[in-house]
Amino acid sequence: MSTPAYPKDFSMKKRRSQKVAFIVFRVLSLLIVLILFAILGFIIYKGAGVISWDFLSKAPSDGMTAGGIFPAIVGTLLLMLGSAIVAFPVGIMSGIYMNEYASRGWVVKFIRLMTNNLSGVPSIVFGLFGMALFVKYLGFGDSILAGSLTLGLLSLPLVIRTTEEALKDIPAGIREGSLALGATKLQTIWKVVLPMGMPRIITGLILSLGRVSGETAPILFTCAAYFFPQLPASIFDQCMALPYHLYVISTSGTDIEAQQPIAYGTALVLIVIVLVINLLAGVLRRHFENRLKMK
Amino acid sequence: MEKIEAKDVNFYYGSFHALKGISMEIPQNKVVAFIGPSGCGKSTFLRLFNRMNDLIPGARLEGEICIDGKNIYAPGIQVDELRKEVGMVFQRPNPFPKSIFDNVAYGLRVNGIKDKSFIAHRVEEALRGAALWEEVKDKLNASAYALSGGQQQRLCIARAMAVSPSVLLMDEPASALDPISTAKVEELICELRNEVTIVIVTHNMQQASRVSDKTAFFYMGEMVEYDDTKVIFTNPHKEATQNYITGRFG
Amino acid sequence: MVKFVESELAQLRHEVDQMWTLVYNQMEQAREAVLNLDRTIARQIIVRERRVDAFELKIDSDVEDFIALYTPVAVDLRFTLSMLKINSDLERIGDYADGIARFVRDCPVDALDQELIEKLEVKEMFAIVLRMLGDLQQALRDEDPVKATSVLSQDDQLDRINKASAGILAGYAAAHTDAIPFCLGFGGVFRKLERTGDHLTNIAEEIVFYIDAKVLKHNDSQQEDPARQA
Repeated sequence: MSTPAYPKDFSMKKRRSQKVAFIVFRVLSLLIVLILFAILGFIIYKGAGVISWDFLSKAPSDGMTAGGIFPAIVGTLLLMLGSAIVAFPVGIMSGIYMNEYASRGWVVKFIRLMTNNLSGVPSIVFGLFGMALFVKYLGFGDSILAGSLTLGLLSLPLVIRTTEEALKDIPAGIREGSLALGATKLQTIWKVVLPMGMPRIITGLILSLGRVSGETAPILFTCAAYFFPQLPASIFDQCMALPYHLYVISTSGTDIEAQQPIAYGTALVLIVIVLVINLLAGVLRRHFENRLKMK
Repeated sequence: MEKIEAKDVNFYYGSFHALKGISMEIPQNKVVAFIGPSGCGKSTFLRLFNRMNDLIPGARLEGEICIDGKNIYAPGIQVDELRKEVGMVFQRPNPFPKSIFDNVAYGLRVNGIKDKSFIAHRVEEALRGAALWEEVKDKLNASAYALSGGQQQRLCIARAMAVSPSVLLMDEPASALDPISTAKVEELICELRNEVTIVIVTHNMQQASRVSDKTAFFYMGEMVEYDDTKVIFTNPHKEATQNYITGRFG
Repeated sequence: MVKFVESELAQLRHEVDQMWTLVYNQMEQAREAVLNLDRTIARQIIVRERRVDAFELKIDSDVEDFIALYTPVAVDLRFTLSMLKINSDLERIGDYADGIARFVRDCPVDALDQELIEKLEVKEMFAIVLRMLGDLQQALRDEDPVKATSVLSQDDQLDRINKASAGILAGYAAAHTDAIPFCLGFGGVFRKLERTGDHLTNIAEEIVFYIDAKVLKHNDSQQEDPARQA
């Protein structure tokens, strides 16, 4: 009985298709990086010229054809802070509740379904809802408060999700170890689970901040001012914000030609802010991880 | 009165009958080993002693488990108080992401002890008890994760012993360790029997024979045989036990 | 091996040592009983034989437990096995002491012919057996294979004395016909002491096996172990 010859060319073919696949993957990945750099380069090329200390520290003037964007920067930062104050406690606590306390009931399934749906809702709808609830019904008017609440709502699903995911990855053995020592559930969460989940939670939170900083639609009806050169005095004041400012001067400016460099400058500042935030997320994450490892 | 008494215990996961009418008595300051094939219910039974199965939804217990004559499933029993009395060591070393010192002090702190000198004293005592003190005394503030697997497991034993339990449950405490670490843990078990009553679940029959005074063989949710370890390993009375310990199973 | 296993092994060794002392005393007493034809001592030996038997059973079951519970390997396994075998050899030696004591108890005469005793080298034979017994006990205590093997050569002496005894006793019986029953019984003493020598040789081999992992038994021509040399 003769055994059929082992098909040699088969392994050649296998190797060749592997090689081709790798090349395709690599080219596509490089392409993405390339596009990213192209956008960045374009913005820097167009906007770097207007960046100056005055641009960063002065209010717009001459019908927004000259001057700086200081109020918009402050406004964006305030909105980020406000939305963080709204979303973080609520989001983290719901995340903890869903993962630690009721992880299998239909209630949790329902909440999870709803938060997932919430994250799919277009941001303009959030803006509309914020206007109806906070601006009109609760009477906050167009204000930082209303804007922060709306942005907070928007980032809530992301915060809940990251918290839940972060806690889910903590091995059950750690929890059991704590409970077996006579710790209560709350002690276990507070002293062991949360510190362990912290690096990932923090990262999620900061990334959600980054997203909030770029949102335009939710603040359109709730907070953002077309032109509000002085700094807001209270949370019931309106404020300017970078993305909205960008939108305004690119679409409904008085002198499109003169305003274009300002628009690119604004975009550049916004991108830098987001970049800094993302870097911060990485640094903080590493810091927390090291603290877990080396005390 | 025996240290632990199980009286006609039946346990269900939903509709699955996991433990079938088990009664046994575990004497004070003895080491009792539970052996049996995977899924025979030995771990489930062990985890009833500190109510670790409470966490499982749909689990149901019939019968009584008494420690020092008190039914630990009676209404009004504080589970966290019970677990202070009945410590547990798990299959995989599970130190907290904290310093060595804080790991051992954890149980004391969550039980409301604030006296720093008492905690320091107790931590040293527990680490000495777990034969770990000499290895870690110069790096008590280093992370527990910097220790080797075997050291981590002894740290977990020290952590459990720090709150001075009277019973120590061990769920395959050496199955994730290398032979030398295993030997150290086994030696530790033999020394700890002076202080606590130890119940150990193990897949390793030699381990059961080496460290235990009494052995219980579980199969398909039933306790087939429970006797002195010498009897189980030289002259078991049930054929199933004989087949299991001689490796002629199935 | 971990500490608690060490202590089990030490316990086992201690028990065998105790058994050994017990058997040594029995044989020493047997010598006294024979040389002085002392029936009281003989009866004591017979009573104490029951203790030897009980001790043997205890060591047997301890060895069984040890193997079952601790699954010894390598040197521990060899030690355990040799203890088991030495134990049964010692028990047989105890039996021989008992047999000699029974001869004394039932001896048909009341005094020994000292000239005959001289000629038969009874004292020498007992001395050799006791020396071998004592030396081997020490060899095990010191884990000294050289001392254990040095005992082997003395067995030839025992064979020689035993062989010679048959002729001497036959001659004596021919001259003193009334002493024929005594002579027949006395011959048994020599055979028992000779057999004791054989068991002692076995024990020496067990000790060497335990310490050196060298099998001496039935291996007279080639005693080299390629895996390990002492």
